[in-house]
Amino acid sequence: MATKVTAPGKKSLQTTLEIGKAIRAYYGGIKEAQKAGKPVIWSYGLVPREIFHAADAPVIYLEHLPLMIGAKQLSGHYIQIAEEEGFSRDVCAFHRCFLGCAVAKERDPYLEKFFAPPNLIIASNLPCMSESKSFLYAADHHDCPYYFLDAPINTWGKDIPEYAIEYFAGQLKGAIDSMEEHGFKVDMDKLKESINLTKKMMGLWNEIDNCRKTVPTPMSTVDGITAAYPLIQLPGTELGVTLFERLLEELKERVEKKQGVIEDEKLRLMWFGVPPFYNMGLFNYVEKYGAVVVKSMVEYIAGGAFDPSVMDPEKPLESLAYKALVDIVNPTYTNMVDFIVKAVEDFKIDGLIGVVKRSCGLLPGYMRLAKDAVYNGSGVPMTIFDLDGLDIREYDDVTSKANLDSFVESLLANKRRQ
Amino acid sequence: MGTLETMKDIFNNPNKIIEEWKKDGKKVVGHRCMYVPEEIIHAAGMLPYPTFGTPEPIKKADSYFQPCACEFVRNLFDLALDKKFGFLDSMVLCNTCDAVRHLYNMWDTYVDSVPCYMVNNPQKMYDESGFKFYRMELEKFKKLMEDLSGNKITDESLKKSIELYDETRRLLKELNDLRKRDIPAISGSEFLRTSMASMLMPKENANPLLRKLIDEVKNREIKNADGPRILLTGSIIDNPTLIELVEDMGGVVVVDDLCTSAKYFWYTTKPNNDPMDAIVRFNLERTLCACAHPSEDRYDYLQGLIREFNIDGIIYFNIKYCHPFVYESAIFRKKLEEEVPTLTLEVDHSLSGLGQLKTRVQAFIEML
Ligand code: SF4
Ligand code: SF4
Ligand code: SF4
Repeated sequence: MATKVTAPGKKSLQTTLEIGKAIRAYYGGIKEAQKAGKPVIWSYGLVPREIFHAADAPVIYLEHLPLMIGAKQLSGHYIQIAEEEGFSRDVCAFHRCFLGCAVAKERDPYLEKFFAPPNLIIASNLPCMSESKSFLYAADHHDCPYYFLDAPINTWGKDIPEYAIEYFAGQLKGAIDSMEEHGFKVDMDKLKESINLTKKMMGLWNEIDNCRKTVPTPMSTVDGITAAYPLIQLPGTELGVTLFERLLEELKERVEKKQGVIEDEKLRLMWFGVPPFYNMGLFNYVEKYGAVVVKSMVEYIAGGAFDPSVMDPEKPLESLAYKALVDIVNPTYTNMVDFIVKAVEDFKIDGLIGVVKRSCGLLPGYMRLAKDAVYNGSGVPMTIFDLDGLDIREYDDVTSKANLDSFVESLLANKRRQ
Repeated sequence: MGTLETMKDIFNNPNKIIEEWKKDGKKVVGHRCMYVPEEIIHAAGMLPYPTFGTPEPIKKADSYFQPCACEFVRNLFDLALDKKFGFLDSMVLCNTCDAVRHLYNMWDTYVDSVPCYMVNNPQKMYDESGFKFYRMELEKFKKLMEDLSGNKITDESLKKSIELYDETRRLLKELNDLRKRDIPAISGSEFLRTSMASMLMPKENANPLLRKLIDEVKNREIKNADGPRILLTGSIIDNPTLIELVEDMGGVVVVDDLCTSAKYFWYTTKPNNDPMDAIVRFNLERTLCACAHPSEDRYDYLQGLIREFNIDGIIYFNIKYCHPFVYESAIFRKKLEEEVPTLTLEVDHSLSGLGQLKTRVQAFIEML
């Protein structure tokens, strides 16, 4: 019998467990909502969901189903289904997995609890080609309307010109019109209110981050990735604010007590690329060396590296447009690279781990850029190796751990020499 | 030498074009891909130069790009690192696929000798607000080209450039129409060389050559024309080897929906008093690039090709990790197959693994 090598990550905070529950509760409710006659939207994590909250719309996010079923080690099965439909292994594993879920003739009981067919799909090219194209197949399969939200890439850094904001805000307005055409009522006052709540959430997230910069860190990325969920799903909601308030409180307490994730923190690491969702325990693996993965880049997707003060509730669509366009994952590279360099310094990172998910068109392209920029900026090294965080069939536990072993050992040896 | 041979010679030795052009100190601007308006570069008195790859294996670029980036783009970057594009005064990219976006990131960071610029185009077609956004981007681009060349671009010069480029498109289309016949006048591989040579050449030289060529071949019939009529589509093909492979297996390649062929010349600019608006609409009132939306538009265009060219079979040559076409072929194939058999093949830009491809193409053609 094969020995199971994967393990869930060990979370150490109470609030992240609550966030986990909130995710499951949210998805459990979608099916019920559809049964009660509410249309369901399928969309992506980077489509500003404040517009969905303003319509009280139940939304399934492409990223979440694969993550949830990935954590249950079911992603391989659905990925296989998509491949049988003609999607090559070059297609992003998230999208293959989601498409497998979308077209499967039968779904396992776990997925069945969350799965609701779409009444409207809102897709975008932010940040990659996959996000804009894969849903076309699902729209065709479920014979449902499809709105394409076109996001310009960011060639301007933080100074997004008016005409780009205007264009993307217009695209958001188009998405709202399309929602209204398909049975939703978008409440513009609620949208304004949700901008206020988003500002508050982002402010709290920045404070949470400040706590995490302390040595020893009170929270590792195992909790961090779950904690980042409200950034994707709950901006603009009271629940998101409450969860972050609680998390901040918990962290402050830990900082005060100097309580770290592990007892003797020797090394601080950062993860760049898609985390191993079916084996989050891999993050805990390095703890035997006294190393903690303090941060991971995915925690910053959907506004995590964002200055909320620029948002204006009186201009909700423009504010959301700005937030989306400056997101670190929106190409081109300046914001991403600047952010990584700064995060490595702020979080006092000793080593950067870059993992390449070969079917991703976006993140692998940043590896060399991040490696050089970080090394030139602060002398911090980066290791890069293949690891598909979603397709468990591609996972090689021995090699992944060997890669981590040799990197961490070399970092420790360097430290000893200093 | 017949004009077909001349075209082949130009295709094989593009450096001659550059040498000739640069003799008077004029500048060359490289680009990739279709949302970089060549007319603006030309109106500034410079030569727009579509960058193509070579079938050489990748050397230096692989320590920058991960191997999961499209090989065409890695190849272009390899050439850039190797200073093979050293003759360019600037490189211009646009917002298409993930790979091209990363080419910009890499070029901007690691290639000092040739500055790189990104034109930010919408990916949604037929959208007035997108026209406005693109226009703003193109105004900036126009200014950049004026500064680079030292020449002012006037409405008049731009209109002239549009007319010149449209003439090239019209002539290529006229030549391409000769492939509609039961026995085409020009083979697929001959056409690709001609089309690429015309793309590379100053259009002032390309147009008379194309006119001459049409005249020379209009009564010609190619040999071996009794096989199934093939429509080629998929990722960029910048080398006739794959087309020759299909032809060697008995297929008659009668039209190619490629960025080096039909996509370049299929449409011409609509009359418009405002030349910048004409360019905006030329690029955004059509969906030819697989990155753009709505994709139904591309599907209708493919269907048009199937009918017009009386197609028996379609072959998608998808470069490995070319996401736009990997998605498109998976999405279109089912529907296309209701009309004509469709084969999807994964290929390496460096043309390795041709033996295996041969077997699959042969089986497909025999099946037709
Ligand atoms: S960024 Fe990468 S992992 Fe995320 S959806 Fe796009 S291709 Fe997939
Ligand atoms: S399809 Fe053509 S225009 Fe579009 S990205 Fe590819 S090479 Fe460029
Ligand atoms: S469209 Fe495909 S072949 Fe062309 S550059 Fe992009 S990934 Fe490469």
